[in-house]
Amino acid sequence: MSSVARAPAGIRLDGRPDRLRIRPRFRGRELGLLVVDALALYIGAISLGATERFRDALANGSNGPINLASPAEPGLLLTYIAALFAVHAVFVLAGRRTDQLLLPAVGLLGGIGLLLMIRLPQSLAGNLGGLAQTQLVWLLIGLGIVTILGVAVRNDVWLRRYKYTWAAVGVGLLLLTFVFGNDVNGARLTLSLGPVSGQPSELLKVILVIFLAGYLSENRPLLVDESTRIGPIRLPPLPYLAPMVAMWAIALGIVIVQRDLGAALLFFAVFLLLLYVSTARVSFVVLGLAAFVVGAVVLYFLFGHVRTRVDVWLDPFADPAGTGYQIVQALHAFARGGLIGTGLGAGLPTVAGRPPIPALHTDFPFAALGEELGLVGILAILGLYLVLVQRGLRIASAAQDEFRAILAAGLSLVIGVQAFIIAGGNLKLIPLTGITLPFISYGGSSLLANSVIVGLLIALSERAREPLPPPRRPGRLRRLLDRGAA
Amino acid sequence: MDAALVAIWVLRLLFLAMLYAFLYFVVRALVRDLRSAAREPTVELGRLVVVACPSGEPPPGSTFALDAITSLGRDVNNSIVLEDEFVSANHAALTYRGRAWYVEDLGSTNGTFVNGGQVDGLSPIAFGDEIQIGQIRLRLERARP
Repeated sequence: MSSVARAPAGIRLDGRPDRLRIRPRFRGRELGLLVVDALALYIGAISLGATERFRDALANGSNGPINLASPAEPGLLLTYIAALFAVHAVFVLAGRRTDQLLLPAVGLLGGIGLLLMIRLPQSLAGNLGGLAQTQLVWLLIGLGIVTILGVAVRNDVWLRRYKYTWAAVGVGLLLLTFVFGNDVNGARLTLSLGPVSGQPSELLKVILVIFLAGYLSENRPLLVDESTRIGPIRLPPLPYLAPMVAMWAIALGIVIVQRDLGAALLFFAVFLLLLYVSTARVSFVVLGLAAFVVGAVVLYFLFGHVRTRVDVWLDPFADPAGTGYQIVQALHAFARGGLIGTGLGAGLPTVAGRPPIPALHTDFPFAALGEELGLVGILAILGLYLVLVQRGLRIASAAQDEFRAILAAGLSLVIGVQAFIIAGGNLKLIPLTGITLPFISYGGSSLLANSVIVGLLIALSERAREPLPPPRRPGRLRRLLDRGAA
Repeated sequence: MDAALVAIWVLRLLFLAMLYAFLYFVVRALVRDLRSAAREPTVELGRLVVVACPSGEPPPGSTFALDAITSLGRDVNNSIVLEDEFVSANHAALTYRGRAWYVEDLGSTNGTFVNGGQVDGLSPIAFGDEIQIGQIRLRLERARP
């Protein structure tokens, strides 16, 4: 055994390239789509500005010419567009072969959200000089997170190895919220640490997917095994059902203690989807749905807030001025919007300086967009979410191993399921639950958590083990420096 | 005022049109991506990557595409021939059965190990797991689409 191991050129014994050489790589597809993004958002801002000025002129009774060509709040929007191109530039310089469609799709959703925040009364929320400015700050921080994760995450060992640590952090966050959380509108969601406050359930969804990816990829062969039989149902060995039961219990706990139906629904749906993705067993899904139905019926009869939500969903017009108010207003908004909408800035006459739907900027942006952009507009927005899910599943199918595959599928399904739950709630398709519309709703916690998801997806999408770049002559700067030294 | 109304109406429609223009370009990119993925034939069900090999043959970092049944050993009739004096002539077999990969020790002298544990008969194995045969360590990975 005296022979020395030979390795192919450029590959070290552990299979990694021997030198991390960063070389810019042109990302044409991303650049082109970002240009379309910028044009669309700029036209949206012009449309919004013209409509607002026309409305003001109508209200004042002035007959003078109206400036139709200048956008509303150009500073905010141009800052956002510039930030998108800056992220693109960093990705080009980093030179990784990562996904080029995620950033433009997310950028357009965030831009539509920003337009909506510019259009709403600025006094609704936000402590940084109004709704739109605060939202812009969160969007910029979110883009920063996408950039850092998309460029820096090359290794998934820190996610994979410490999955139980992650799970413990998640459960700890949940317990902290149970004990120390502030009650807002009867739901205990917000955790305040000094001046910083946030909603841990947003971060929890990312942690949950990381844990499930680690657990399922490790125990998949055991879960596929069928050793327990109850009548016609074949089940995996019973100890491996424990996390499934624990998941169900956590979802129930969130509903009972936190009164957060949306997060519970999201966690349980993503859990079942990932179980199906990793084992391809319909029986698990059927079993999980049965457990869901049992839990839902029990909660309906035991807890008043669950019963209210379901009753309002079944018949919002029973109490249109009280519990059904939000849903009735949202349905009217969709009806006013019709096919192509009233146009940005032309919908939702404000009543005493506030829009008619409470929590419009967090829970009902879909209804607001439905009114101003119409069926055509919200179908396009749903299409953007579908694009995000498709990219995630595509990244999953191209992943090198099961952990990465389940992680990518789970991260994108979180966004898709969340968008479905809140859009369905706004449309009275399912009972309304107070979660955010990803990337569009106002709110820091939601934007940051979803940015973490997009950043991780971009990092996971790298087509690794690319052919090494050919050796290159030293750059001009290098030659100059050498000459100077000589 | 009428001209202004028409202009605002055109702007509204233009914004919606831009949203659909974006969707059109994205979907075109998606379809191209899927087409190019479908064109590449993927007959392989998985691949083995050489992690460590003291003799240097096969070199670390090289890969083997796997069929549904792949035999490993020192004998030249194996699908993957491993030159190492601790490897038996017919050492182990990797089989793909419906949903999962399995590794089977074919009665080798020095045994087959998965992630450090010795394999006893037929044993399921997941992508990312490491198989040790003799002094050679191999990792099972998913096939590239």
